[in-house]
Amino acid sequence: MDRATLRERLEAVVGAGGVVADPSELVVYEYDASDEAIAGRHRPDFVVLPETTEQVAAVVRLAREYGLPVTPRGAGTGLAGGAIAARGGIMVVLTRMNRILEINERDRYAIVEPGVINLELSTATLPRGYFFAPDPSSQRACTIGGNVANNSGGPHCLKYGVTSNHIMGLEVVLPSGEVVWTGGPVPESPGVDLTGVLVGSEGTLGIVTKVMVRLTRNPEAVSVLLAPFPTIETASNAVSAIVAAGVLPAALEMMDRLSIQAVEAAFHAGYPTDAGAVLLVEIDGLAEAVAESADAITDICRQHDATEVRVAASAEEREALWFARKAAFGAMGRLTPNYYLQDATVPRTQLPPTLQFVEELSREYRLRIANVFHAGDGNLHPLILFDRYEKGAIERVLRAGTDLLTYCVERGGTVSGEHGIGLEKKDYLTLIFTPDDLAAMAGLKRSFDPLAYFNPDKVFPTSFSCGELAAVKAAGVPVSGGLGLEDVI
Amino acid sequence: MDWGSRMSSDRLSTVRNLEALSDGVARRDPSAYPVDGVLPAVALAPATVEEVSACLAAADEAGLAVVPWGGGSHMALGNHVSAYDVALDLRALNAVVQHEPDDLTIAVQAGCTVAALDRHLANHGQILPIDVAQPERATIGGLLATGLAGPRRFGYGALRDLLIGITVVLPRGTVARGGGMVVKNVSGFDMMRLYYGSLGSLAVITQANFKVIPRPRAQRTVLARFSSLAAAARAAEAVRMSQLAPTAIVAVNEAAARQADLPAAAWSVGLRCEAPPVAVARQAERIAEAIGAEAAATEVIDHDGTEPLWQRINLALDAAPAEQTIGVRVGAAPSQLVTVAEAMIASLTALDLEPALTLDFGSGLAYVRTAGDPGVLLRAWDELARLGAHATLLTAPAAIKRSTEVFGREPQGFATMRALKAEFDPRGTLNRGRFIGNL
Repeated sequence: MDRATLRERLEAVVGAGGVVADPSELVVYEYDASDEAIAGRHRPDFVVLPETTEQVAAVVRLAREYGLPVTPRGAGTGLAGGAIAARGGIMVVLTRMNRILEINERDRYAIVEPGVINLELSTATLPRGYFFAPDPSSQRACTIGGNVANNSGGPHCLKYGVTSNHIMGLEVVLPSGEVVWTGGPVPESPGVDLTGVLVGSEGTLGIVTKVMVRLTRNPEAVSVLLAPFPTIETASNAVSAIVAAGVLPAALEMMDRLSIQAVEAAFHAGYPTDAGAVLLVEIDGLAEAVAESADAITDICRQHDATEVRVAASAEEREALWFARKAAFGAMGRLTPNYYLQDATVPRTQLPPTLQFVEELSREYRLRIANVFHAGDGNLHPLILFDRYEKGAIERVLRAGTDLLTYCVERGGTVSGEHGIGLEKKDYLTLIFTPDDLAAMAGLKRSFDPLAYFNPDKVFPTSFSCGELAAVKAAGVPVSGGLGLEDVI
Repeated sequence: MDWGSRMSSDRLSTVRNLEALSDGVARRDPSAYPVDGVLPAVALAPATVEEVSACLAAADEAGLAVVPWGGGSHMALGNHVSAYDVALDLRALNAVVQHEPDDLTIAVQAGCTVAALDRHLANHGQILPIDVAQPERATIGGLLATGLAGPRRFGYGALRDLLIGITVVLPRGTVARGGGMVVKNVSGFDMMRLYYGSLGSLAVITQANFKVIPRPRAQRTVLARFSSLAAAARAAEAVRMSQLAPTAIVAVNEAAARQADLPAAAWSVGLRCEAPPVAVARQAERIAEAIGAEAAATEVIDHDGTEPLWQRINLALDAAPAEQTIGVRVGAAPSQLVTVAEAMIASLTALDLEPALTLDFGSGLAYVRTAGDPGVLLRAWDELARLGAHATLLTAPAAIKRSTEVFGREPQGFATMRALKAEFDPRGTLNRGRFIGNL
């Protein structure tokens, strides 16, 4: 590759200010929000910051011509290494495409560029009576494009569903260089649901350049309850009882004692530091229904030994409780130099034994583990606290993580609920999928990207035992190197 | 795609070949499986996933064209079949595989009917909200393949949005799964969305996992009559923009009202309320208030009357094919729906056709049925196909289907759809020619 020529050609597309090529500046793009000891770090050859769809398409065509991998990236808040340039090449950073292009209340959608920050969208639409339902905890920083790539979740997914349920259409630059619009303001577009396939594909099938998101009407009434419990076990039993009772809250979140301590040290939001765990429950909908559900949930919490059930008295109090909950990961800095944030889902009835297992792991591996998670969805987020300079710590953290994922799968769960597979989790997919399952996914990948140059080395497993490897190869799954350009160009 | 066609003697020997390879699989009378008036040479009814796999692998190997069947209620959807050797009846695969009531999840085999699933869930106070005209016939697999969803999509989303896991058999006989049994899952690609709505052109769905929801404990329907479409639309929009949260908003014209056995009116609007008992009466009252100024008459249908009423509306919206009749669905954003509906009415009345029109104001879909001579119906479809964001010929006589693309205009991204078909079904074994662009 003639580096100087390529740089000139990239600059001709996005301007000199849109290309990063200096190694000292590229270093900040070597990682995302995943722990580098776990997902690794890789330097892209170039970072480009396009401002238009046409520029993205032109950059993609150049990458194709030069046989270089393309890695799309938003704010870099991903937790699984999905936005790391695993094989170098060109990283396409979409943060300059950050305009809200249209808000259409009558047809309940907005069209945004991928670099729009999640919270900014709802901030813009809330006064008009609408919101964008997916609300990952990183919503003050993460981009809508990143939400699409990862099919992001968030507390309110319990009632409203994940990102995929709220994406109506996408403008996307395909690996072929073609720019297409999928979906649109009306459901049931004939043909394959390309929108649905692209959401959650972690930038391996295309680069999204515009997103048509569904806006949800603000509910008539909202109520937030805070219920402290003596133990994490009593709290998780209450969660199972609430779900089983046929009451569907908008959000049902749990924090354990360690998390509460971190959050209170950082924000003083009013969480009781002496509780073993707290549940944060939001109920919304028609006023009468909200009142009834709040009563029902209060009763269930009391039956399961809640020490009290407090109703947030004002919008400000609700905000403060939610702010602290969503900033809990950041607050962990009060407790630890490093943490490994795990993400797994179990069927909701399996929460009590799974949380007990987390406690056992904590003892077995001599690691403090904080739990702050979307209990109503069965989506666990154990934060394994460690110090990366302590000898052997990383190994224990990784072993605890593997044990946890294995346990969750045995209980009918899965290896990632909302953070994605990226680099971090790809070798765990064989816990849940057979070589034939993965081969079908690889067929999907091939249909979009036969050259395998979009976000290579992500999602698909690369390390296997010998026997597994043979089976996987026989089933036609691209394995280590198989997704690399050198093999196909 | 041009898959070509084979000589009949060739077909006979390959079918014998298939019969040998699928030995032990139950047979059915092929004359019960017509598609576009074409009959298959053989009809197989596998009882296990292994048998589905064996049948498909054998057919694929022999180059035979397979049409998967559920209850057959929506076999009219799709382009005219270009070859049809084997009917694969999946109704024997009808078990509830796993139901975890306290997790609000269920796994069912594809051949389970909508009615059977609903009875099962009702015992546990749960639902999977599906609107179809023939619930005793329509199967879960068939609904997923067609990707059709009725008016409650507005309140609950489509089956697409409740689907959390899937098992399919690929044309070569491989069993492949996606997703799982948990409500939040980003492990691997979203294969559910790939197969949903792909009309069985990529794989045969054998099992689907869903998140279910608590069964609403109380229902009401506000049913109002209007003298004009404009007035009906203003009322529908007032409620759609409000916080009153109905689960469906549908308008029907006089002809469709006759099919749904509703009181005669130029336009009728039904608004469905599903909520806890403590809230539902007031919800219906407030909705009735909100539309009162526009409506000529308003009534509130009680809990027991609501389900049958919507069943009749589904009959108008999701009507079975009939002689000399076409059914067309035109999509238009809710704010554009009136303009598009007026254009549909104008096109059809200019051809002396009487349109029975059902408008799903929640989602932005207009359904029309009309009867006439084939030549006139083809002209009608040609005109309707130009309207809205997209248009689909849902049901039509075979003669009309043979000379048109039933999925209307080619969507963007079609090259990728073609690549998917080539990757998943390279020999064109499944539903040959029936999917969009004859894929």
